[in-house]
Amino acid sequence: MTLALATLLLAGCSSPAEPPVADAPSVVQVPADAPTISEAVDLVAEGGMVLVSPGTYEEEVTIDKAGVTLRGLDRNETVIDGGGTRAFGVFASADGVRIENLTVHSTLFYGVLVTGMHDENGPLAHGGPGYTELDPSEFPPVERFSIDHVTAYNNGLYGIYAFNARHGQIVDSYASGSADSGFYVGQCEECDILVARNVAERNAIGFENANASDSVTIAGNRFAGNRVGMTLVSNYQEAFTPQRENLVVGNLIAGNENGESPAHALGAFGIGLALNGGQRNTVLSNRIEGNPTAGVLLSNAEDIPSLANEFRLNQLSANGLDAADISASRAPSEGNCFADNTASTSSPAELVSTTCPAEGATSGGGTLPELTVPRGLSFLDIPPPPAQPQLADLESAPDRLPDALPAVAADEYPLPAVDLLADRAAVT
Amino acid sequence: MSELRRRDLLRGLATAGLGAAAGAAGGWGVAQLTDVDPDPPAAAGIEPVDPHGRHQAGIVRPGTPQPHGLLAVLDLAGTPDRTSLVRLTRDLGERISALTGAASGDAVAAAQSEAGLFDGAGDLTVTVGLGPRLVSAIDPSLPGSEDLPEFASDAGLALERRGGDLLLAGYGSDPNATASAVTWLAASIAGARIRWSQRLFRGPSQGTITRNPLGFHDGVIVPRTETELNEHVWLPEGPLAGGAVCVIRRLRLDTSRFHGASRTEQEAVIGRRRADGAPLSGGGQRDEVDLLAKTPEGEYLTPARSHARAAHPSFTGSNLMLRRGYSFDDGTLPDGTRDAGLMFVCFQRELRTFVQTQHRLDETDDLMGFTTATASGTFLILPGFSRNRPLGAALS
Ligand code: HEM
Repeated sequence: MTLALATLLLAGCSSPAEPPVADAPSVVQVPADAPTISEAVDLVAEGGMVLVSPGTYEEEVTIDKAGVTLRGLDRNETVIDGGGTRAFGVFASADGVRIENLTVHSTLFYGVLVTGMHDENGPLAHGGPGYTELDPSEFPPVERFSIDHVTAYNNGLYGIYAFNARHGQIVDSYASGSADSGFYVGQCEECDILVARNVAERNAIGFENANASDSVTIAGNRFAGNRVGMTLVSNYQEAFTPQRENLVVGNLIAGNENGESPAHALGAFGIGLALNGGQRNTVLSNRIEGNPTAGVLLSNAEDIPSLANEFRLNQLSANGLDAADISASRAPSEGNCFADNTASTSSPAELVSTTCPAEGATSGGGTLPELTVPRGLSFLDIPPPPAQPQLADLESAPDRLPDALPAVAADEYPLPAVDLLADRAAVT
Repeated sequence: MSELRRRDLLRGLATAGLGAAAGAAGGWGVAQLTDVDPDPPAAAGIEPVDPHGRHQAGIVRPGTPQPHGLLAVLDLAGTPDRTSLVRLTRDLGERISALTGAASGDAVAAAQSEAGLFDGAGDLTVTVGLGPRLVSAIDPSLPGSEDLPEFASDAGLALERRGGDLLLAGYGSDPNATASAVTWLAASIAGARIRWSQRLFRGPSQGTITRNPLGFHDGVIVPRTETELNEHVWLPEGPLAGGAVCVIRRLRLDTSRFHGASRTEQEAVIGRRRADGAPLSGGGQRDEVDLLAKTPEGEYLTPARSHARAAHPSFTGSNLMLRRGYSFDDGTLPDGTRDAGLMFVCFQRELRTFVQTQHRLDETDDLMGFTTATASGTFLILPGFSRNRPLGAALS
C-alpha cells in the first residue's frame, strides 16, 4: 500500500513537467477510469473532460492543466467533502478550466478556488499577508474560467472564490454556510468577470468583491438571508486598490439578518449592500429590502474614500435605513448619487436626495441603528442546502472558453421580484 | 568587547587627553581634565556605542536599547536659514562625537567633563531630529517637512506639547549621565529652549523586546534585518538617504484599570498572550499574528478590536514601523491621575505609515481606551555622520 502510494505520488508530481502525451484520453470517467478525481485530472488530455459519477470524494483536487472541464454527473450527489480538515475542494491554477455540476462542502478555507496566486505548494491567498507586498506581476492571472452549477456549502472562508483571475464567470451556483463570503471575486484589473444568477444565503457575507475592477458584472443574483448581502471593498492587503467600476444590476439583496450563519468577524449584521472604499460603481435596478441596519452602506477603507458611485432605479424599502454613509472625516465620501430609487430613509438625512451627478458633494458621519447581533454558528453546523438544479447537458464536451465574455446588456436583468431564484433557496 | 578591553580603551582615551591638555595648558588644566574617572565603577557589560555610521546611533545601534533615556524637545528662536542650520547640526554632531569618545582625546575629555560624564560615556547615544518647521523652511518637498495631522486621540493635548523644532534623544545605562549629556547638548545650542523633556526607562530587554508598562512583550514585530530596515525604515534615496522619519507620542496609560481586567480581557485587548507574547492565533513569541484565522463560528482568533490587529500594517498598506518605546513615570498628578505610561517612539520611511496607523487605532483599537496622548511630534532623523561627513551635511 505504502509503495503504491509512493509511486502514485511520483507520477502525480512528474506529470505536469512532461510534454503532453499524444494519446492522453480526452474524457476520463471517475471512478471507472480513475479511482479519484485527482488521478483523473492527471490522466486527462489538455482541453479534455473529467466526468465524475455520484459519490463522496475526500480529496483536494488541483487542476493545473489547461482547458480541463471537471463535471459532476449529478450536481447534488457528486460531492467533494473536505471533512472539516482539508484546505480546499477544487483549486484551478490553469487557464480555461470549467468546474461544473458538483457540490463541495466542509473545507477549512475554500470550496472552489480559481487563482494565479500560488506556488508549487498550492494557493498563496490564505495564511496571512506578511509584511512585504507580493508583487502581482510575478503571478500572472488565470485567464478564462467558468464555474457553473456548483454548490458550495459550509466552507471555512469562501464557498466559490476567484482571485487574480480574469475573463471568467461564476453562474447558476449556490453558496451557504461560509464563515467569510459565499462568493468572492478579488484582485484583478480589467477583470471581465460575470457573477450571475447565483444564490448566497446563511453566509457571513453573500458576495464580496475586494479590488476587482472594471468590467465586473454582478447580475440577477439572490443575496438574501446572510448577515451581509454583498460588499464592494478596497483592501490594502491585496493588490490593485481601489475597487472600482463594477455593474451591480438586477439583484435581490434582502433580509440579510440571518443568525443561522457563521459570524461576520467584525460584527456586521443586517446590511444589504456595503461599499467600503468602492469607487465609480453603478448600482442599478436592484431590490434591496428588509436589511435592518442599512440597505446601502457607504464607508471609507482606511484613507480610501467611497467615490462617485451611482445608485439608480433601485427598489430600496423596509431597511433600517435605506442608505447610510458612515465615512470617517479622514476620508469622507464624495460624489455618490441617488436617482429614481424608492429610498426614503437615510443618515445623513440628505444622502438619498443627492441627485446625479453629484460632483464635489462630500458626505459621511452617518449613524446606524443599534442591533443585537446574534452569535455565530460553526460553519460546519449550518444546515445543508436544498437540492439544486442540474446542468442541462451533461454529455457534450464544451467549447473552448472565449477569450472575452459576451457583453451583458443591463436590461437583461430588470428589477427582480421578491421571489427571485426562491426555488433554490432555503431562506425565503 | 569585553569589560576589560573597554576599560582599557577608556583609560587610553582619558590618558591621551590628559597628555595633550597637560602640554597645552599646564597644571591647572590638568586638574580640570582629570575630572573624568579613568577607571569608573559599575561598567560591567557596558559597551561603548559608535556615534558614527550610515545611520545615527540610538535607532538600531545598540541592538538592545539601553535601559535609560532622556528625550528633549527644543524650540529655536526664529527660523534658521540653510547655512545656519547646517552649522548648528554640524556643531551638535561634533559635540556628540566628543561626548561619546569619537574625537581627539582632549576634545573627549573636555566634553565629558563639561557635560558631567565623570565616568566617561559608557554606552551613551544621542539621536538628533529636526521638526517640520525647520525642514519645510529649507525645502518643503523634503521628507520630514510635513507635520502630524490632528488625531481623534489628540483631544486634550496641550498646544505646547505638540511639535517642536529639535529632538535630542539620549539613551544610556547611566540615567543621570544620560540626562546630563542631553542637557549639556541642549544648552550648547544658541537660541534653543527646551520645550519639554522626559526621563525614560526600560525593563530588561532581549534585543528589541521588553515588557511594557502593561506587562506585555513589546517590540516583537519590528524590522530587524538589513533588508527589512532598508525596505521599511531608512529613507531610500536622495541626500537624506539613511535617515528616517520619527514620531514620538507620550502616551499616558491607565495601568490600574488595565491591570484590573482579567488576563483573558487583557490578552484580547493586545492580541497576544501575557505570559510569553505569543499570538492568540498560535505560534511562539516571535511569530506574526494570523489575521485571517477564525473560530468555526466566525470570530477572529486575533480579536477584531485587538491592538495587534488594529496596528497591523497590511490594513493600511503601510511599511512596518520600527518601534523603540520606553516607559515613563512622573508620579501622581494633583487630581490623582497617574502620569505614567509609554513613550512611543517609532521610525519609518514615510510619515503616512504612522498617520494611517494612528487613525486606524483611534477607530478600531480597544487599547486606545486606556490611552491618553500627552505629547506628540514628528522629527526628521538626519542620516548618520562621521569625522568626514558632518551631521546635517545632507541639508547643505
Ligand atoms: C498605547 C500604547 C501602546 C502599547 C502599550 C502598545 C503595545 C504593543 C504590544 C504589546 C504589541 C505586540 C507586540 C509587538 O509586536 O511588539 C504592539 C504591536 C504593535 N504596535 Fe503597539 N502599543 C502602543 C501604541 C502603539 C501606537 C501608537 C502605534 C502606532 C500608531 C503602535 C503600533 C504597533 C505596531 C505596528 C505593532 C505590530 C503589529 C504587528 O504587525 O503584529 N502601537 N504594541
